[in-house]
Amino acid sequence: MREFAEWLQATPVSVTVQSITWIIPLLQSIHILMIGVVFVSSLMITLRVLGRVRAEEPFAVVWNRFAPWMWGGLVVMALTGLTLIVAEPVREFGAVSFWVKMSLIAICVISIAIFGRTLRPDAAGAEFSTGRKAAAVATVVLWLAIIFLGRAIAYDGAVWSLQA
Amino acid sequence: MEIPSIIRSIEASGVGEWFRTSVKAMPVVESIHVFTAAVVFGTILIVDLRLLGFPNTRRSFTRISDELTRFTWGAFLISAVTGALMFAPNASTYYGNTAFRIKMLALLLAGVNMAVFELVTKRGVARWDKDAATAPAARFAGAASILIWAFVIFVARWIGFTKGYNYEIPPDLDLNLQFPAQ
Repeated sequence: MREFAEWLQATPVSVTVQSITWIIPLLQSIHILMIGVVFVSSLMITLRVLGRVRAEEPFAVVWNRFAPWMWGGLVVMALTGLTLIVAEPVREFGAVSFWVKMSLIAICVISIAIFGRTLRPDAAGAEFSTGRKAAAVATVVLWLAIIFLGRAIAYDGAVWSLQA
Repeated sequence: MEIPSIIRSIEASGVGEWFRTSVKAMPVVESIHVFTAAVVFGTILIVDLRLLGFPNTRRSFTRISDELTRFTWGAFLISAVTGALMFAPNASTYYGNTAFRIKMLALLLAGVNMAVFELVTKRGVARWDKDAATAPAARFAGAASILIWAFVIFVARWIGFTKGYNYEIPPDLDLNLQFPAQ
C-alpha cells in the first residue's frame, strides 16, 4: 500500500496538483461547502422523519426537495475527494482516520439509499416508527463522525495517540 | 490600549497556553469549527435560494427563515467560539496574516448584508412572502449572501496554507536554491 501511494504521489497528475499552490485549498474549500449542502440536506430529511420540521408537508415532498442536493453534493465530494487523495496519497493511505472515514461513508450512503427506497410516501402528519426514526438519527450521527474523521486526517497521529 | 499589546495579552492568556500545550486541542477545535461553518453555509443557502425563488415560491419565506435561523445562529456561535479558541494561542500570527484579515472583513460584509436585509428589505415581506416573485432587494441580499459566505470559506482555507509565512526575505540574503522545498 505504501509503495502504491509513493508511486501515485510521483505521477505527473499528482505532482501537478501538488505543485500549483492554490489547487489543494480550492478543492478542500469546495469539499467543505459540499459538507454544508450534504449534511444540512440529510439533517432536514431526518428532522422531517422526526416530525420536527415541515411536518405539514408529505414526507415525499421534503425528500424530493433535499435528496437531490444530498446526492449531487456527494458526487462533487467524491470528485474533489478523489483528486485530493491523488494529490497526497501517502498522507491519506497512512491515516487511520482516512480508512475509518471511507468505511463509514460506504455504510452511510448504502443505508440512505435503502432508507429512501423503502419509505412509502406518507400523508402529511403520519408518524414514522421508532425504528425508522432511530435510523434517520443514526445517519446524521454517521455524517458527524465522517466529517470529524475527514479533518482528523491532517492530524492523524495526534488524534489517535493517547496524549491529551 | 493599542492593538499589538492587546494581541500580546491574548496570546499570553491561560487559554492560549493550554491550547498551545495540548496535543488534541487543535484537531478537535478545528474540526468543530469547520463543521459548524459548513452548517452555517448549508442553512443560509436554503434561505438564500428561497430568496432567489428557488425551487419555487410555493412555501412561505418567513416560515423557511424561522425554521432555519436557529440552526444558523447556533452554528455561527459555536464557529465563533472555536475560532476565538484557535486565534488566542497564535494571535499575532493570525493578526498579521492577510488572508485572516480579509476573512474578518468578509464576515463583516456578510453581517452588513444581513442587517440591511433584516432591518430594511424585510419590512415589505408580506408582499413577496408566498406565491410571488421576491423583491429585487431581497434577491440581491440572497445572491450576495451566498457569494460572501462561499468566499469566507475559501479565504479561510487559505489562512491554513499561508499563516506564519508572511515575512519579507532580506534583499541581500544569499539563498542556496539548489534544494527545493519538500
